Amino acid sequence: MIEIPLDISLALGEIEAVKKLLGREPSDVELQIFDVLWSEHCSYKSSKPLLKEHLPVTGPTVVQGPEEDAGILSFTEWQGVHYGVVIGHESHNHPSQILPVEGAATGIGGVVRDVICMGADLIGVLDPLRFGDPYGPNGEECVAIARGVVSGIAQYGNALGVPNLGGDLFFDGSFDKNCLVNVVALGLLECDRIVNSAVPKEAKSEPYVLVLVGKPTDSSGFGGATMASKVFGEDHEEGENRGAVQIPDPFLKRVLNVALREFYDRMDARRIPFGCKDLGAGGISCMASEIAERGGFGIELDLDAAPVAEDLPAHVLAVAETQERYGLAVPGRWADDVLKLFNEEFALPTIYRGARAAVIGRFVNDPVVRISHKGELVCDTTVAAITTGAVADRVEGVFAPKPYVRTLDTPFDPASALRSMLGSVNGASAEPIFRSYDTEVMGNAVVRPGEADAAVILPVHGCPVGLAVTVDGNPWYTDLEPHKGAALAVIEAARNLAAVGATPIGLTDCLNYGSPEDPVVYHQFAAGVRGIAEAASRIGLRDDPKYPIPVVSGNVSFYNQSENGGAVKPSPIIAMVGTIADASHATTLRLKDPGNALYLVGNRYDDLGGSLYDRVVRGGMGGNPPKIRYDEERALIHFVSRFVEEGLVRSAHDISRGGALMAMAEMVIAGDSHFAKRGLRADFAPLGEEIEYERTLFGESGGFLLEIEPDVEERFRERAHERRVALYRVAEVTGQDELTIEGPGLAPVSWRGEEMRTIHQSALAELFPGV
Amino acid sequence: MGIIGVIQFPGVNCEVETARSIRGLGYRAEVVRWNQSEGLLDRYAGFILPGGFSYQDRVRAGVIAAREPIVETLCEAAERGMPILGICNGAQILVEAGLVPGKTNRVEAALAPNRNGVRTGYSCQWVWLRADGSNSFLANTLTDGAVIPMPMAHAEGRFVSRDPAVFDEFAERGQIPLRYCEPDGTIATEWPSLPNGALQAAAAVSNPAGNVVAMMPHPERAAYLHQVPDWVPVWGDRKRALVNGDPTGLFEAGPGAKILEAFCLAVERGVQ
Repeated sequence: MIEIPLDISLALGEIEAVKKLLGREPSDVELQIFDVLWSEHCSYKSSKPLLKEHLPVTGPTVVQGPEEDAGILSFTEWQGVHYGVVIGHESHNHPSQILPVEGAATGIGGVVRDVICMGADLIGVLDPLRFGDPYGPNGEECVAIARGVVSGIAQYGNALGVPNLGGDLFFDGSFDKNCLVNVVALGLLECDRIVNSAVPKEAKSEPYVLVLVGKPTDSSGFGGATMASKVFGEDHEEGENRGAVQIPDPFLKRVLNVALREFYDRMDARRIPFGCKDLGAGGISCMASEIAERGGFGIELDLDAAPVAEDLPAHVLAVAETQERYGLAVPGRWADDVLKLFNEEFALPTIYRGARAAVIGRFVNDPVVRISHKGELVCDTTVAAITTGAVADRVEGVFAPKPYVRTLDTPFDPASALRSMLGSVNGASAEPIFRSYDTEVMGNAVVRPGEADAAVILPVHGCPVGLAVTVDGNPWYTDLEPHKGAALAVIEAARNLAAVGATPIGLTDCLNYGSPEDPVVYHQFAAGVRGIAEAASRIGLRDDPKYPIPVVSGNVSFYNQSENGGAVKPSPIIAMVGTIADASHATTLRLKDPGNALYLVGNRYDDLGGSLYDRVVRGGMGGNPPKIRYDEERALIHFVSRFVEEGLVRSAHDISRGGALMAMAEMVIAGDSHFAKRGLRADFAPLGEEIEYERTLFGESGGFLLEIEPDVEERFRERAHERRVALYRVAEVTGQDELTIEGPGLAPVSWRGEEMRTIHQSALAELFPGV
Repeated sequence: MGIIGVIQFPGVNCEVETARSIRGLGYRAEVVRWNQSEGLLDRYAGFILPGGFSYQDRVRAGVIAAREPIVETLCEAAERGMPILGICNGAQILVEAGLVPGKTNRVEAALAPNRNGVRTGYSCQWVWLRADGSNSFLANTLTDGAVIPMPMAHAEGRFVSRDPAVFDEFAERGQIPLRYCEPDGTIATEWPSLPNGALQAAAAVSNPAGNVVAMMPHPERAAYLHQVPDWVPVWGDRKRALVNGDPTGLFEAGPGAKILEAFCLAVERGVQ
């Protein structure tokens, strides 16, 4: 047997608490299990009370809130079937920093299991990424990590056969030693066929067993949850944590997912109640006790029955985070059938060494968790003990605003400012990255990543209702004002959905912060949670505004901090999904027809704090991120989503990173120099005589650019007036591949489309030449 | 008419939408697991090998699947003249099995890693294909010179052979039914229109009899109008025009439907 020592990070006080709970000394296996369960990663011990207190989790669009592995939102009814969208959000930050390819790949692997084990078919993934500064002091390392992460996402997602529906990307020095790799997974299910992570109640009257299916258990990922609950020390590169990173296998996952679908269908066809739970943090012991506990049962587990890749000590076998495994609760009399499906029909042992399905335990009415290994009882406790969560009291520090510091003394020069922004890593096109991802597989695409502010798919074949999805978060805003930054992430996500004509049905959050033991960081976190709750409530559901946009799942990732690099900028990341009644009305940001008007929708304010312009052009740091005017924001978002949904908008882009000028440039860039040349001729005169151009062109106050046909303009203006939305007819679509601006007190400036296109593509093409 | 079998090797991932697109054209299709080869030739009238990553592209894309017993059955089907279409990973399997180009029933060509002078590795992008003097079933719906847009997504799609001249021969004999081209139909010579550096800009290669076609782009991802990006000329305009119409227009036939229809027509006509 391989010798692997216990890996315990519990504080002394916590070990005492374990003793008290058990009423005796814990065994090695028990200690290891509690170590994982009470880690920050599994227990949410620093975050749970705050999340429960603030986040809205119910409402008319919620089918199932954040109780199991992923949340479920009501999507649409079609031909008598009620469809739900399953959404999960995970982080895999620590593993990706150590082994970028494997870390990022298993990040996808983990979150898709959360979605699939609910009975859903996977329909998309998105990946919000934060990398260090490629041109900073750790540039070389940051670029290597970024490339590895992109490669890992591509390798896993492409082989799994799930379309990549977008992501968002920031490069900033605060991520030099702690990259952030978040993954969102979406699934589709029929709402009367939800699979629960629980032993069904029928187990009261007939024996149910636990089937473990998938990859043979090995020692990979042993200590993973614990690693994610610690600050990186100086020496983490030396390899001490490498074994804690799991090993990805998208091939086996694909086959398993196909086989699981067949399993679900057969069980449903025979009307046999069953449960399914994926294996993640805490491995076999965690899965087994949770699935038992949720059904109100206990479990007797035989570790010797688990297929293994090597002879392992019980404490490793019980908690190792080997990938590509699921646990199934099925009636004992059907166990042989289930094993045959996986082992013979899908021939798992033949196509992957050691992979198979096996019965590893049985559910019992007594609420016990008994684990045996080599004839010995290595864990003998109660479900209640195992599932008693840990709680940690954290102290919230005081918010200290940062003074504004400007490091570059550049005069106002829009011509060169736009070029600098387009060519900066944070303003450049992400196309060189998403070319490496399969955006087409499954054949559901309507609007792809890069074509608009959100992606749109048709997940139910034949049904015209589109599902739109986006991810957002701006670490520069949250760094300056943690509360406002988090709220702005929610608002920006809603804006992105509105730009394609969709309206939100729900969101998930992934909250990435430094150590919760640091009061300043804990304040950032607490403020972020309150900010998300506030924006979700104040924007609300468009068609039922008394309800907040519900938060149906999420993830908290603390300890994104290293001894030598400090904490990351606070990074609450929001993934939001919405619906559009007729996906053929979804707009893209490519300009359509010469002669159409381009409207600037929404007022411009003095909102340059945390902006791309400030960062790239003025070398600024500090200041005020965009002020949130909820009444204006809500009116704007709902007005735009309605007007686009009615099919009355030809192209649309929301104003965010880089401001209005950047948004115009991106609309021209989205065209091309071959098929149909399109450009913009802008004149800012409608904004008045005295215009402050810096904030007008580059400020990131919420707003939109909408292309409207001449015969729709009157209706558009009237409707905007009714809704009290500010409109300015600032530009006209032309037949030239060019952007031109002028206005009172502003001499005409123009940029050729092809030149902008080249600059916009080059920054990331250099860093990401392909995988 | 007969049923079309869509072969599910372990690790392929386009079988569902491929079968769905065939059904959308009014034909019958079933997904068949790779280890269910019994009675195959009696039950099915044609076969599609869909895209994906069979056996995780171990060793080389398609090479392991090409050694599965079911492929022997497919060889027999090919010899009987039954239509077979390989898409992406399916194309790689057909080439590794020696069914395409099929001159000598040995492996005569390979699908090598993309080489385009700009990007390395996997690329997911829309390309233009020109139908070109085909002796294959694609001629059922495509006239010479027709240009169709379609997405591709692969890392190993460069048709090569030890002797490049054999591809000139294939072209002359009508064994290169689809070639990468510019939107105006000019044969592509550089990235991005030529995404992978294939000899003769080959996007598809058939066997001499024309009943087996291996193509790298994905027709099932362009089978419906909604799948076409709005910037694609002609088709994108059609999609945009849906705005004022009936939402079922989203599921009208897209450019890739022509390829699938050509295959279905061949199946319908039976062995010639």
